[in-house]
Amino acid sequence: MKKDNSYVRNSHEFPPFAYNKKPVIAIVSLTCCEGCQVAILDLGARFLELAEKITIGNFGFLEEEPSAQRYDIIFVEGSPITEENIARLKDLRARSKYLVALGACAMLGGIAEIKNYQDKDERLRYVYKNFEGINNPDIKPLSHYVKVDLVIPGCPINKEEFLQAAKNLLAGVPVQLPQQPVCYECQIKQNYCLLQKGQPCLGPIMLGGCGAVCPSNAYPCDGCRGPLKDVNPQKLNQQLAEQGFTEEEVKLILQRFGVQDSVYPKLTDKQV
Amino acid sequence: MEIKIEHISKIEGHTGFIADIADGQIKKVHMDVKEGARLLEGILRDRSIYEVSHITARICGVCPVVHTFASLKALEAALDIEISEQTKLLRRLMMMGQIINSHALHLFFFSLPDFLGFDKDLAMVKKHPQRAQEALAMREFGNLLVEVIGGRSIHPLTPTIGGFLKLPDKKKLHHLLDISTKALADAAKLAELFIKLKYPEFIRSAPYTSLHAAREYAFYDGFIKTPSDEKVSPAEFMPIIKEYQLANSVVKRAQYQGKPYMVGALSRLNNNHVQLNPKAKQYLKKAKLHLPSFNPFHNIPAQAIEIVHCIEEARALLRQIMPKPLTINDIEQQNELVKDKLGALKGTASAVGTVEAPRGTLYYFYELGGDGKIKNCNIITPTSQNLARLERDLEEYLPRLLKGGSKKETEQKIKMLVRAYDPCLTCAAH
Repeated sequence: MKKDNSYVRNSHEFPPFAYNKKPVIAIVSLTCCEGCQVAILDLGARFLELAEKITIGNFGFLEEEPSAQRYDIIFVEGSPITEENIARLKDLRARSKYLVALGACAMLGGIAEIKNYQDKDERLRYVYKNFEGINNPDIKPLSHYVKVDLVIPGCPINKEEFLQAAKNLLAGVPVQLPQQPVCYECQIKQNYCLLQKGQPCLGPIMLGGCGAVCPSNAYPCDGCRGPLKDVNPQKLNQQLAEQGFTEEEVKLILQRFGVQDSVYPKLTDKQV
Repeated sequence: MEIKIEHISKIEGHTGFIADIADGQIKKVHMDVKEGARLLEGILRDRSIYEVSHITARICGVCPVVHTFASLKALEAALDIEISEQTKLLRRLMMMGQIINSHALHLFFFSLPDFLGFDKDLAMVKKHPQRAQEALAMREFGNLLVEVIGGRSIHPLTPTIGGFLKLPDKKKLHHLLDISTKALADAAKLAELFIKLKYPEFIRSAPYTSLHAAREYAFYDGFIKTPSDEKVSPAEFMPIIKEYQLANSVVKRAQYQGKPYMVGALSRLNNNHVQLNPKAKQYLKKAKLHLPSFNPFHNIPAQAIEIVHCIEEARALLRQIMPKPLTINDIEQQNELVKDKLGALKGTASAVGTVEAPRGTLYYFYELGGDGKIKNCNIITPTSQNLARLERDLEEYLPRLLKGGSKKETEQKIKMLVRAYDPCLTCAAH
């Protein structure tokens, strides 16, 4: 079976947009907390400035009706959970030149994916008496259903990273997310090391670019931006084990944003 | 005849609207919620008490602070852990930021275009740049309050069982107090705008509830105040809220004493206007709302008045917090305390945690075991409580819309009433 760790960092087929007119942008959400859209709005005046350079073709937060049928760039946050979510995602993909997955739900599965690691049908019955008509698929990242050209990671996204990526895309410059661990920025900030203090911080194996916002606030990294490419988690696992964390405790953290299946893609559950 | 709106934009989450009408009689009004089921109450089971507030914050990107605090309050009550006065003050201050940023989003970006006749917010922003600037400044002030204390405005990081992982920088608190003067002036201008808007005259009879406290306009603590009772504890009240689920619906609706009821800014204002801060009281007087108001559209000016109140309150809280040195709990000591409490548990412990979210009273119930894991959980969000009331309102409001209005006008009025409630389907479905 194909494992779903195939989320895309950067597409090789960068579309040469023909920018003789303003590119048409859509920002849409599937099932999620909508925090990534809120982060975009939180750019405030800088978002309004950006909006001057584009045509907004679909943004439910700010517009009554979609005003365009085809999009140059579409930003999608959230998880495809309902059949309608999945159909909508595929339809939007077909009408867009370039698709950007926004945030942990779109990239990894997000908190909704926790049920994948539990008895999801029991969970459904626990919450709903009338459960027959409710969709309860395994949670998958967008890349399971459609081609994803770029991922902006995080829960929520880092709005500065979004802005920079959007500017690059509009200028026709490929977006690069540096493959540096969270520890890189954490050390620059001269934070004391939570891992060395005995806390279960996943900074060494997780993708930075967040400004190490969690460890900077004394909260250990729980991997909302997903793992570094081709990372080997064994050394960190060993250290966490030496510090007294059980396998189950580490797994619970890795499950929080749906990372467990991408950190251990090649291992079966038994081996982890 | 059927009136069907596929998707109502400018709210949080996804919902459509359907009304069945036969011979001029409204047969059925239904909010057709299109969220996926994230099964939050289910997935929290078997998870550690230390992480659940971080997971529940993700129920909503607009109001993560209240989900964090309701979650923590339920855990602390279950474990009988007292928080310090300092922790309480900082949490209350963060709550003010939450109410301000959420209300500012709803008032300006979601509801105002309905009254000024804009389909597209950006067109409205172009026409009213000064107003837009004030609204954005409001949101930024609210966000900053949350960020300075919580470490991040969306999905805060520092709040934990018993206190905070890290305390705010005093210089940043000073800065907040400095800029609060301008924030208050901006809020006053926004309030002027919103109390002068012409709201539809739609008065109906509906019960309303909110937290209530004698000494303050309650957001963080209090009793539940209903039309018949002032002093029900949230732990007593939550079990008498009757949640029910329509077939195929991912959202549960709620009733109290067999009736749909309203929560949110207007319910709070009806119950607690005596406790408003002075400037907010001035705007209430100017708004001539005649409380208790039974016009759901008044939820909009009620939010505008609350923003003024919350900025006044934030200033008072900052002045209370700043003169004293801030002391951080020793995290290891705190963890030991939790461990002891868990160790002493015979069987399980359970409790209710409640706060006023921007959209109304938010209830959390947790049952936890000695292993520090959640065993059972229930969350009742404001929009779950409001949904049946909103449907009933629409049922009562529709007949008058059908007299004379064009299809487009009717649909616009329906959306306007839906948005007046400031629904969050993301929260409601959780």
